[in-house]
Amino acid sequence: MLVPLTHLKGKKAIVREIHGGVTAKQRLSDMGLLPGTQIKVLGNAPFKGPIRLEVKHSELVVGWGLASKIFVEEIV
Amino acid sequence: MKFALAGNANVGKSAIFNELTGMHQHIGNWPGKTVEKAEGTFFFLDKDIDVIDLPGIYSFSTFSMEELISRNYLSEQRPDAIINVVDSTILERNLFLTLQLIELGFPMVMALNMYDEAKMKGMEIDYKKLSKELGIPVVPTVAIKRRGISKMATAAIRVATRHAKPKPIQYGKEIEERVSSIEKKLSGMDLAFPARWFAIKLLEGDQEVIRIVEKKKPSILKLVSKYSRELEKIHGEPANVVISSERYSIAARITSKVIKRSKYKETISDKLDKITTNKFAGYIIMFLAMGLTLFTIFYLGSWLSDWLVNLLSVIQEPLKNTIRDPFLFSLVWSTVDGLIAGVAIVLPYIIPFYIILSFVEDSGYLARVAFLTDSLMHKIGLHGKAFIPMVLGFGCNVPACLGCRIMERPREKFITAFLVTLVPCAARTVIILGLVAAFLGFQWAVALYIIDFIIILLIGKLLNKFMPGEPVGLIMEMPPYRLPSIKVALRSSWARVKEFIKIAFPLIIASSFVIEFLRQIGVLGEFSAVISPITVGWLGLPQAAGILLIFGILRKELVLVMLASVLGTTNFATALTQLQMFTLALVSMLYVPCIATIAALKREFGWKKALYIAVFEIVFAILVGGILMRVLAPLLA
Repeated sequence: MLVPLTHLKGKKAIVREIHGGVTAKQRLSDMGLLPGTQIKVLGNAPFKGPIRLEVKHSELVVGWGLASKIFVEEIV
Repeated sequence: MKFALAGNANVGKSAIFNELTGMHQHIGNWPGKTVEKAEGTFFFLDKDIDVIDLPGIYSFSTFSMEELISRNYLSEQRPDAIINVVDSTILERNLFLTLQLIELGFPMVMALNMYDEAKMKGMEIDYKKLSKELGIPVVPTVAIKRRGISKMATAAIRVATRHAKPKPIQYGKEIEERVSSIEKKLSGMDLAFPARWFAIKLLEGDQEVIRIVEKKKPSILKLVSKYSRELEKIHGEPANVVISSERYSIAARITSKVIKRSKYKETISDKLDKITTNKFAGYIIMFLAMGLTLFTIFYLGSWLSDWLVNLLSVIQEPLKNTIRDPFLFSLVWSTVDGLIAGVAIVLPYIIPFYIILSFVEDSGYLARVAFLTDSLMHKIGLHGKAFIPMVLGFGCNVPACLGCRIMERPREKFITAFLVTLVPCAARTVIILGLVAAFLGFQWAVALYIIDFIIILLIGKLLNKFMPGEPVGLIMEMPPYRLPSIKVALRSSWARVKEFIKIAFPLIIASSFVIEFLRQIGVLGEFSAVISPITVGWLGLPQAAGILLIFGILRKELVLVMLASVLGTTNFATALTQLQMFTLALVSMLYVPCIATIAALKREFGWKKALYIAVFEIVFAILVGGILMRVLAPLLA
């Protein structure tokens, strides 16, 4: 089942779809957030703050707005 | 010979740059662009070499200004070699840019930086194999320990003299077929980069490249859009995502071949991160760190500043005895005083400020701050990175405006700079404390700050609503915590101090002279009378306030200094009512940033926008001052 990254319950997931405009897609893919990429949630800031992710052995911070455009499949 | 350093942010490019150039660096400014980047020269193996430190970028799409600048630099300045600096600990992510750099067709070497850190993290990188995979020389380096630098420079000179162009990386069949077909159509055209690069960028839908090709051979674009659609159909994603995705899988394939990982051990950085990004502790630490920094700069600064002004003022008497003519003397003295003012700001406030900033920056903490404050900054349509220049603004607005360069797009950069000029800097804090806190009580000073923050919030919301374009969200790399090197921090502080002096000094000195001249010939007094309907009528201040506010443009704390000299006493309560003191402090806090800040704004945005901000803030300050004066009158009567 696909959920937006902001609604992911577990820690590990695979990016399946990226919604949003051309610019958002370009930025996310430049930073390595592409369909098929495995991610691990490391934490998040309160009040709809950004999410810390482990992607490709490095850490990325993605704001809530962008994160809600990333649809992921949880790895159980 | 000319080298360009290119790489992601936080990979140690500047450290390598400093190692190469030593102190022989200057802030460069290349044509057409107002953004500055460090440029320097060094002498190595009998060659004079120019080296430029390009901004840290992640890709060569034109999303951010940095990416566009780097691209323009490479196409116009044509370096003899590119030194691609990468962070060994996150090689896979860094290779994404490397692959794109290779496509640009310049002779290239890779500096596999922070090699020691990768080892410590249990990674064994076979750099010889990596070199074979990429087709470029790869040299392990540890920039802050000076390791590998001369080897790297030697390799760069070698590829530059041989004009050794790297062989481009091959994509999958579906992409390659289309790229080579477009490439053929492009042949014979006069292009800044290889036709293959143009073909790839066209497929990716790069707006800049499309514009260039449209002018020269628009017929190609039809074919390109057909190919893009085909790729989208096959993969279910737009062509640019398909190509990025291929690049990342090539990067992953290479990385898996060259890196052996032993079990990951939790580092000190990971442990620190658990606390500093924590939902509660993170914020407490952030406020403590900010408070401590501002407190240190403010107290240390005001103490040193007073001491310096007193020290330098001793030349006033001998000067007076040399220049007998009082008119001439006051002109000369005001110019000297302008210089003293500059020195008394720079040495005590700016230097410690920049040193602390460099340390915090190099440690990686600023990225945590951006993480923690992102949702707050969204309230004003910006993202977490904007918080950093805003905090810098409390020290001095000039570096804060220059710090707005970290914002990716012009829109965000402008909004951030606009708001930064409303942040009460150290000089305005002097007024607020010296006038309001001292005579009205601390709670009124706090009230002023709260009013200011509300204004920043509202103006941020308005700018965001009415400026064209969409706000962009936050996405950034979180670098691990690193122990900052004292040498690197001192060097970068020094470069920034020089920049500040260059921007601020000429204007502070020149305008000190002009204002004193106008005062001497009586224009200033007349001007105060002319604007008295505003100062006296609307704001309820004494007529002399006109002069104070004009002097405040030089540096804000002059409002207080001049007030004392106009009144002949520092007991302001004898001449001003509490309401007048509050209004004066409020207006001083809001109206145009000082002349140095205007200069910094001009540097970043050009005269038009700088004056737009300045004029807006004068009108706004007067408007708000008059309204709040009337609202607060019953409370402060």
